[in-house]
Order: sequence, then C-alpha cells, then structure tokens
Amino acid sequence: MNSSDTRLVYLVDDDAAVRRSVGFMLKTSGFKVTSYETGVDMLRSAATLKDGCILLDIRMPGMDGLEVQQALQEKGVLLPVIIMTGHGDVGLAVKAMKAGAVDFIEKPFAKETLISSIDESFQRLSRKEATDDRKKDANMRLQSLTPRERDVLEGLAQGLPNKTIAYDLGISPRTVEIHRANLMIKLGVRSLSETLRIAFAAQGE
Amino acid sequence: MYLKSLGKSATQAHLRSILATIPDALIIIDEMGVILSFSAAAEKLFGYLEEEVAGENVSMLMPSPDRERHDGYLKSYRDTGVRRIIGIGRVTTARHRDGNTFPIELSVGEARFDGKRVFTGFIHDITQRQQAELRFHELQSELAHVGRLTELGTLASSLAHELNQPLTAIANYCEGAAALLDAGPDAEQLEMAREALRDTAEQAIRAGEIVRRMRDFLSHGETEHREESLSRIITEANALALVGSREHDIDVQVRFDPDAERVFVDRIQIQQVLVNLIRNAIESMLDSTFRSLTISTQAGPRFLTVSIEDTGSGISETLAPQLFQPFVTSKQGGMGIGLSICRTIIESHGGRIGFEAGDDGGTVFRFTLPKAEVE
Repeated sequence: MNSSDTRLVYLVDDDAAVRRSVGFMLKTSGFKVTSYETGVDMLRSAATLKDGCILLDIRMPGMDGLEVQQALQEKGVLLPVIIMTGHGDVGLAVKAMKAGAVDFIEKPFAKETLISSIDESFQRLSRKEATDDRKKDANMRLQSLTPRERDVLEGLAQGLPNKTIAYDLGISPRTVEIHRANLMIKLGVRSLSETLRIAFAAQGE
Repeated sequence: MYLKSLGKSATQAHLRSILATIPDALIIIDEMGVILSFSAAAEKLFGYLEEEVAGENVSMLMPSPDRERHDGYLKSYRDTGVRRIIGIGRVTTARHRDGNTFPIELSVGEARFDGKRVFTGFIHDITQRQQAELRFHELQSELAHVGRLTELGTLASSLAHELNQPLTAIANYCEGAAALLDAGPDAEQLEMAREALRDTAEQAIRAGEIVRRMRDFLSHGETEHREESLSRIITEANALALVGSREHDIDVQVRFDPDAERVFVDRIQIQQVLVNLIRNAIESMLDSTFRSLTISTQAGPRFLTVSIEDTGSGISETLAPQLFQPFVTSKQGGMGIGLSICRTIIESHGGRIGFEAGDDGGTVFRFTLPKAEVE
C-alpha cells in the first residue's frame, strides 16, 4: 500500500469489540486505523497526530466524547471529528455538531454511512479554506424555507425533540413532523445530521 | 355406643349442649378411629348427620392418602406414644359427603372418657381464608411485575445502548469479512475473515445474553419459591442493574460470605429488589466525586443479610421515616413505588428491609432472607 495516500482514521471507543470490529472494517476498506481505548490516551499523543479523521464514541467512562472534542480543540488539534452515538443520544450529538463535529452516526451504522461521513471529513480537511463558501451555500439554501420551517430547524439545531418544538411553537407534533420533512426536502438532505450541518454552517463557525 | 347413649348424667347433658352450639366442628373418636360424637357444626360442614357417621371410621371424612393411612397413624401412636399431631394441630384437607375436598385447620386433643382413651378433633374450615391469601399473593405478584415493568422502563435506554455495542461490532466484522472475500483473498486474508466471523458469533451471543437477562427479569409467571444460590442471584441482578453505568466510573465491590449461599426464594422477585436498590445507589452517587458501590452478604443463625452500600448523597431526614411508603420519592419523575414494592417482596419472603447512614455519608440498605433449611 502506498502510505502517502492511505487515509488515517483515529478511533476512540471504550468497547473492545467495537474498537476491533470498526478498525477491522476500515482496514479492509483501505484506511489506516489507530485505536485508543480512552480520550485521555489519544490526547496524550495529540501533538503527534497526522492529518486524518477522528471517530469518537460519545459515551465513555472518564472523559466523554464531548469533553474529548473540546480538549482537542484546546490543544489546537483541528482534525475533523465524527461522533458515534448510541440510542437516544441525539441531544448530545447536536451539541457535538455545534462544537464543530462533521457528523454524527448512530450505532449500529451501515458501512456506507460511516464511509461517506469519513469522505466528507477528508473533503473538509482538504478545503479548510472553503468555510466561507459553505456558509454562503448554506445561507442560500435556507432562503427557500418558510418562517415556520426555520423555527422548526432552529429547534432541531438546539437538539430539541419534536414534541418540545411543537409545544414551544404552539403547534401539534404532527405538524412539526410535516415541517421537518418539507424542510429536509427543500435543503436536499436525507438525514438529521446533514440538516444540522447546513444549519450550523449558516450560523458560521 | 356414641355419646348420646353413654348415659344421662347432668355432665353429659351439659356436654350435649356444648356440642350443639360450638361454632367449630368437633368430632370425637375412640382409640381405633371410630366416631363417637359429631357436633352440629360438623354435621353442617361435612353434610352428614351424626346418626349416619357414628360408629364409622373417621377416615371416611378424609381424602386419599390420609384415608388409607389414618388407621396406621393411630396404631403408630398407640404403639410408640410419639405425638405427631396431638397438641400441635395442622392445616390439612377434609372430604365432604359430596366428594369435594376443602382445606381445614385441625387441632387434636386427647382425653379419658369413662376410663377409655378418646381423641377430640376441632375442625375449622379455612376455604375462605385460603382464597383470600391466594388472591393476596396474586396481587402481590402482579404488583411486583408492574414494578419490574417500571424498573425496566427506566433501564430501557441503557439496555438499547448496551445492545448497540455488539450489534455495531457484528455489522462491522461482517462488512470487513465480506470486503476481504470480495478481493480474492490469499491464505492470510482468509484466516482474517474466518476470525472475524468467529468474533461475530461471539458478539451475537453477547447481544443474546443482554436480551435474555431482560426477558428473565420481565417474565410474568407465578411466583416460584425454590432453593437458589444467593451469589448467583446477586451476580445476575448486578449485571442487569449496572447496564449503562460504565461511563459513571463506579467502583463496584462484591463480597460473598460462603456461608450465606442457600436461600429459598422467588429468584426474579429478589433480583427485582436488588436491581431497584442498586439503581438507586448508582443514581444517588452521580454527583459524588468518589463513587463506590459495595454489595455483600453475611450469614446469621437463621437469616442471611444482603447489604448494598453507596457513597452517594444519603437520605434526607425528612424523607427517611416514610421512605418505604408508596408514592414517596426524592426523584424527579419518580413514582415512589420501587421501595414500597421492595418491602412487600422482602416481607412476603419472611425477611426485613431497612437502611442506615453509611460511614462515608452514603447509605446502606440491608435486607434479610430466611436461610434455606438444609435437609
């Protein structure tokens, strides 16, 4: 393998089986993988991290994913971060995206989902300068939304569940669902994480 | 030969009036089991008139196997003098004229009558009491089941998270193995693919274990008291209760007293108590810097004690006196039924439950269970 084009993934998960299996799958897909059991382990070698993408579990003993993400930023490590979440961790995942994570994927995930998130991370890595463009692009796409759809998007970006958004806006949860579906069609996105990525890009990072 | 014919003295007239009015059935038999007297209440209870049963063997009022064995019981007493029922009494079954059997409480006494030995049997019908008790137990077990549902509701998100780990591993091992096989593997890659498949199987079993623990915990079922291993009960309950608590960095210590091992209990219900107490302990420690959970067992002369000690925030003095009352809770969104169900369960097992402040500001919950009798 030609080491200069081998893309590097740093994997942090406290569960040995997850670490081993995700590492195995990524290696068979042509990535180079370095695994860590805890965020502290990775932070210890933060200074020597090469360009690559960080795949971070959100629920871990000791430092959780959000804390690791923050500590990395404080150390000036600006590598793209993908958050792996479990069931019902959407609120946390939204926080992570606000803090600059490229994406969050819910366990268990399809191979394609993870690979496409990693691809997106590497694109971001190669065009750090493109942030302004993305902001412009995101703002343009948001133009197409109705005020109500923007309200719903605002709620989603705060990590609120549909029910709470409905309550805050004084509409039914069903109506929130309809707005949510419509705004995702208009934005041309298929997942909540993609939706949020646009919302946060528009706010400017 | 029965009492009516025994004589006409004032004492006997007196006795007759007692026999006619005592609320419990009274039957008097001779040494051979032949019925001498059958009170008015006995007539009503068994559906026979005194005239019909007097002179008959009392075993006609019993279902099998006592029916066939009663003569033997009497003979054994005549020969050995060892009292097995006289003066002790017991709950047993009687047989009505129509063939139906019903539960009774039987108290047997011994007396001399005209120089002959007779036995007196007081019989109290406990059909209604037994039905009430049965219903009570049914209600208790339903309540316990509702408690488990509530408990599992609060555990659901942790369990889902716990299940996602092996599922994630399975998906990735399979994808990785498939990628290796697609590429026309060499011998080494084939071996890697094989290993991944073995790891997959291991993870599938890990997922299955989580589901099994959850299903066992929810099983409806009748309450089933059996001789069980206390350490096994605790180990399983602990595994379930600690689901999802890994990220809280709790130091868990388990200490089993080897002499506190055999108990006669309904396993699921005792595990329900343990899960409840352990989850409470974990929750109380979330704001503590030092989080240590100690579960221990201790043998006593008649009872075994199980202690669950935490280093949490303790229990406020205002809450403490009524902690085991239903609908008392310190938890936001708590229903306050967990501990009251725990108490119901432990008391129905003949034990006690209580708590005290721990050495380091936390709380120690203790409950006792009767030792299983060793045959």
